Amino acid sequence: MNACTYAELNVTSNFSFLLGASHARELVETAKALGLSAISVTDRNTLSGIVRAHAAAKENNLRFLVGARLDFICGAPSLLCFPKDRAAYGRLTKLLSIGQLRTKKGECELRYADILEHGEGQVFVVLPPAQLDFQDFNAWLARIAADFPGSVYLSASRLYGARDLKRLHQLSALAREAGVPMVATGDVLYHHPGRRPLQDVLTCIREKCTIAEAGFKLEANAERHLKSPREMARLFAAHPDAIARTMEIAERCAFSLDELRYEYPNEPVPPGKTPQKHLEDLTWAGAAWRYPKGAPDKVRTQLRKELDFIAERDIPQYFLTVHDIVRWARDPSTKENGKAILCQGRGSAANSAVCYCLGVTAVDPTETKLLFERFLSKERSEPPDIDVDFEHERREEVIQYIYARYGRHRAAICATVIHYRQRSAIRDVCKAMGLTEDVSAALANTVWGSWGGQSAGGAMPDTHVRQAGLDPANAEVRRAVDLANQLLGFPRHLSQHVGGFVLTQNRLDETVPIGNAAMEDRTFLEWDKDDIDTLGLMKVDVLALGMLTCISRAFALMRAHHETPHEDIAEIPAEDKAVYDMLSKGDSVGVFQVESRAQMSMLPRLKPETFYDLVIEVAIVRPGPIQGGMVHPYLRRRNKEEPVVYPAPSPTHGPADELEGILGRTLGVPLFQEQAMAIAITAAGFSSEQANGLRRAMATFRGDGNMPKYRDLFIQGMARRGYAPDFAQRCYSQIEGFGSYGFPESHAASFAKLVYVSAWLKHHYPDVFCAALLNSQPMGFYQPAQLVRDAREHGVEVRAPDVRFSDWDCTLESAETGKLKAVRLGLRLVRGLGQSEAQKLIAARGAGALTPQDIARKAGLARGVLERIAEADAFRSERLDRRTALWRASALKGERTLERDAPLLAYIATGEPQDDALPPMRLSEHVAEDYRTISLSLKKHPCSFFRRALHARGVFQAAELEEDRMINGRRVRVAGLVLNRQRPGTAKNVMFATLEDESGIANLVFW
Amino acid sequence: MADNARRLAAVDAIAAAAGLRPGQSMTDALALCPQMKIVEAEPEEDQRALTRLADWCLRFSPAVAVDAPDGILLDIDGCAHLWGGEEALAHAMLQRLAAQDIPARAAIADTFGAAWALARYGAEDVTIAAHNDTRRLAPLPVAALRIDETVADQLRHLGLKTIAHLTAMPRAALRKRFGAGLMLQLARALGEEEGALIFRTPPARWIERAVFAEPISTPEAVARIITDLAVRLCAKLDEYGLGALRFDAAFHRCDGETTRRTVRAALPLRDIKRLAALFAPKLESVDPGFGVEIVTLTALRVQPLTYAQADLDQANPQAAAADLAPFVDRLVNRFGAERVWRATVQESHVPERAVTRVAPLTPATKRLWASCQPRPVRLFARPHPIDALAVAPDDPPFLFRWQGRAHRIRNAEGPERIAAEWWRKPWSDNEIDRVRDYYQVEDEAGARFWLFRTGLYGSERPTRWWLHGLFA
Repeated sequence: MNACTYAELNVTSNFSFLLGASHARELVETAKALGLSAISVTDRNTLSGIVRAHAAAKENNLRFLVGARLDFICGAPSLLCFPKDRAAYGRLTKLLSIGQLRTKKGECELRYADILEHGEGQVFVVLPPAQLDFQDFNAWLARIAADFPGSVYLSASRLYGARDLKRLHQLSALAREAGVPMVATGDVLYHHPGRRPLQDVLTCIREKCTIAEAGFKLEANAERHLKSPREMARLFAAHPDAIARTMEIAERCAFSLDELRYEYPNEPVPPGKTPQKHLEDLTWAGAAWRYPKGAPDKVRTQLRKELDFIAERDIPQYFLTVHDIVRWARDPSTKENGKAILCQGRGSAANSAVCYCLGVTAVDPTETKLLFERFLSKERSEPPDIDVDFEHERREEVIQYIYARYGRHRAAICATVIHYRQRSAIRDVCKAMGLTEDVSAALANTVWGSWGGQSAGGAMPDTHVRQAGLDPANAEVRRAVDLANQLLGFPRHLSQHVGGFVLTQNRLDETVPIGNAAMEDRTFLEWDKDDIDTLGLMKVDVLALGMLTCISRAFALMRAHHETPHEDIAEIPAEDKAVYDMLSKGDSVGVFQVESRAQMSMLPRLKPETFYDLVIEVAIVRPGPIQGGMVHPYLRRRNKEEPVVYPAPSPTHGPADELEGILGRTLGVPLFQEQAMAIAITAAGFSSEQANGLRRAMATFRGDGNMPKYRDLFIQGMARRGYAPDFAQRCYSQIEGFGSYGFPESHAASFAKLVYVSAWLKHHYPDVFCAALLNSQPMGFYQPAQLVRDAREHGVEVRAPDVRFSDWDCTLESAETGKLKAVRLGLRLVRGLGQSEAQKLIAARGAGALTPQDIARKAGLARGVLERIAEADAFRSERLDRRTALWRASALKGERTLERDAPLLAYIATGEPQDDALPPMRLSEHVAEDYRTISLSLKKHPCSFFRRALHARGVFQAAELEEDRMINGRRVRVAGLVLNRQRPGTAKNVMFATLEDESGIANLVFW
Repeated sequence: MADNARRLAAVDAIAAAAGLRPGQSMTDALALCPQMKIVEAEPEEDQRALTRLADWCLRFSPAVAVDAPDGILLDIDGCAHLWGGEEALAHAMLQRLAAQDIPARAAIADTFGAAWALARYGAEDVTIAAHNDTRRLAPLPVAALRIDETVADQLRHLGLKTIAHLTAMPRAALRKRFGAGLMLQLARALGEEEGALIFRTPPARWIERAVFAEPISTPEAVARIITDLAVRLCAKLDEYGLGALRFDAAFHRCDGETTRRTVRAALPLRDIKRLAALFAPKLESVDPGFGVEIVTLTALRVQPLTYAQADLDQANPQAAAADLAPFVDRLVNRFGAERVWRATVQESHVPERAVTRVAPLTPATKRLWASCQPRPVRLFARPHPIDALAVAPDDPPFLFRWQGRAHRIRNAEGPERIAAEWWRKPWSDNEIDRVRDYYQVEDEAGARFWLFRTGLYGSERPTRWWLHGLFA
């Protein structure tokens, strides 16, 4: 057997959406197994799939060629383009950016003329069309050969068409004639012939037809798979040169993505200073600001350690850039409305002493157990990762600042890959297979998002099929489900990431193609966060957080009504026992992160007493720890019901306390993502590269189907080193559970700060807290009705929206008694009323208009608007109940504005009946209307109207469930408003619901 | 509904008992009742069925109107006595409908508006409102006035929920707020408005009707009546320059049974003779029973038809089709539509599936087979098994034996690899080596064949050879 070598240059992955039928990883791994010498992934006018292909190739020790297939709109034949070096690569990304920016999102328009400017340093492979139109194609081939002498090849493929050999012969003659060497390619669409059905289905989805109608749009056979060098050599037996040239091209194109280094922006560094020096100066100045009495020694040591590390890694610009953004946000003088924007950083580097001093985070490193340790010790080659949350309504200002400061050519938002999920996969497959919408809906609806994640491989289990009322053995259903399972995790389209900014020192479009986003004036680059991480580019997440808006509003209300000075999160008094006592009772409606039912039931069991307990509280009620069965062991240990022990390897493999350093803070139970990763390295013997791979596989939910591999590595690794298999299994389950909901300790710490601050506000200023929450809606877990109810239960007087007193926002008014103010609900609660209409009303009110007629006239509001206000019962201060007010409002003319002359006269002249001629409204009707119009009622709870009927049916009130006579196991009936329903993916087929009646709430579990 | 959600259009009694109702989204309905059986709504078919029902109602009154989507209006002025009074008429009608499994409610009142309201919102299945009796309307909800949904909503919010509430309010105040529409509907229901008594005439339709005082029962009479009706109908079609692709004749018998006969034409038709000729063989089997009292003839699928200028333009395919149409019609009406067909292109890579049958006068499609694929002039319906010798893995054969004769191959081209259409096979049987490798070969005598091999080299499936066609 002669050793043949072959490199596959013409490969379409699933990043050519609805065309390629394999993941890059599958292609790379198959290429390796088949013995290919190199592989490229040449998606259509895009480089969006190359980073993961590059990473997979690196992992498999296979040579990877960066390239793309260029399709033109001008009639030129398609070209494969392979950059030879970094500069040529920059030209390719520039070229693709030009093509993408020319048209709308997701498309790329290239003309042949474009490559003339960007073709230097590229190797081109011309792809002949399916039907050889000789004259035309000859002319193109000659032209391309002349434009790029010595860098052009002609591709030939063997796809088992009827006249393959004839065509091969013709191409070889053409190549000779044009002086363009012929090169063999596989024209690959999938890694294995078994993917033909899926590829056919993709074609149907793309062409919007069913498989029965698709006809010649489908391939005739399954030959577009990767083939071994031997098979390729056999197919090109008459043209061995064509095989050899694949290697020639691979050798000519030596560019690797590893050459893209981080090039952090230089802006924040003043001239004449090194970035490191500048960072150190800022840090020490910040230390003096944070610790007015002088920083404790412990902090000083920590700062020095961190600064040394930053110098060693040469990443001071990263911190300076984040600091620059945060500094700008906090500076009120740069804002139009003169108000600073609240913000808080999180992420592995954010909870460092340096970041605390720089003001990036409000978490005092002395309050936590110095998380930067892990960031320091981990010799990960990745760049630091900081996410910054801003007030959600003001994030756009921050984004505009970044664009202004760094320019659109150097700053762009990265992409999010939208993957096929269960529902979309089953729907699209069913449509392509011509199944009725009913079958499709039945299958899609049963999954409820719970299929996937948990079960191995994410495939849809038979039980789900049966649940849908379908027979899993039915051939058509089976086929659809199997195909949908294959489609699961395929990229569907790229979308703009919520806030992941990539910043570079040099032009960004010479590093990665940039395209238009759906939003006007927005561009985004075609790599996602993981790609950016893989390559180590500078990335800052600029995110929006509703709770920051709420806290900012609360500070403003406190300053105005309670004369408190607070302006920043860090100024809130720390470790207030009363706040912890409140939380320990589970009294947490409206509090950030810990207001869900699950958190509420955890709080009294965990009984947080210190800040770090809140960090744990935030992290423990998450899919990871729950799935890993870590919650109860932790609670037992915390309550001293079980000794704190650390699982240990067998003595021959390592010290018995190797996990104590990792798990000490959490009583020997792994709760955080970092701990799971550290266990992988320490206990399961992962290399740091493997650990990174695991983290990536975890993050991209089944994204590249790599989890089973790591599962075996992990469990066997731990077992080999003498750990109990049961513990290994649980650790792994937890890692699986982290999945895309990963909650690292560093994030938990930043969130815990907001938990504390919002709980502090709720405890000390429930009036302020209620108004601020209502003004920041929609956010959080509860509806305005529950927030209002909770505030009233905490002694806050809440007043109904009223034309005389309400602003757009909820406001505080002086109350009759007590130190708390009364909350006046704002007009924003009135359904269907716009802010500008409300503002006109408020202005007209200033001019004395308070009746429907006057307001309509003076504010120029339409009849429909007045009717909505009337229906919300907001004319009470005018002694008009909702029905009377509506009767008056409905008499207004339909036009937008009324004539200047006397509506009052018309009112008298038409012989208007007395208002009380209308049938009177019952209280129950009022309450129903309140819910319909302002989504809550201050008058009475709707359940109270049914109480007698409910009582007759033996239904208990929620409050009665708490009474002593309720013994476990007793059957009871309950009724109420459904506040929420949840069906968490971690709880198999269990649903949780909360009912509310006039006495309280009842929690229900369905299974 | 503004959204795209699929919603229930109608439910049966069992479904209603399970809490399903029209207008509900299908998702909600499935959650309530996962075992529900879903049948796609066919509003157009419903409309047609309602029209047929209206035809049937002609036996009760000559003036019948379809009131879509779910009502039929009859002007029974002067008809009731034939049935023994209004009440008897209503009951007779409901009984006969019930016999056909059609649930219905009926109301008889002075005005169309009142009858409409009482039939839908009245307490009883049958309501007979006495002359000038508007009290019966009082407790009905305002929606019974057949008013705009939004107006009805507004009225409810004001607490004006019933017609009684409305009549208690000053008309001027109502008019000012809700406009003339509401007032008109109210007045019509109450019989105050002049126009309210004008009965709506049914829209012009392509139907002719013959009613006999003395029921007919002989085949000759039946044939004559059809011809008479055809004359009237074709004259009407001619007036508008129309023809029809389908004609329905309905024979309403004294005993309430209805017999139907249908003829179809390949091209729009309004020729009396041809129509009568097409009907003739079908009328023999019409059983008149105790006599037919009403016969109707309806033209369906009506389309423009102008007289083609024959002979002047022979190449005109339309004219050619018009020439062929009478012949095709006769064949189709005699042998059945499925027996007369034409072959055309069907897009499939599998050779035997690349051809399909279509109706004889279907215009030719623009679709073509790909020219780069050699296809034989003669394709065997079933490939013939042959013995062949070839070199693995995919060389063409050098020798094959068919029908006892050996063919030594001189020239060959291929393979063209065609895989099975996996979606037509059971999924479990969907192996990737289910492929055929086709070769176009020429033997020493110059005869050209289309062969294929099944069973890929190295696969489990044994290699076998087949002859699938002959080239010219």
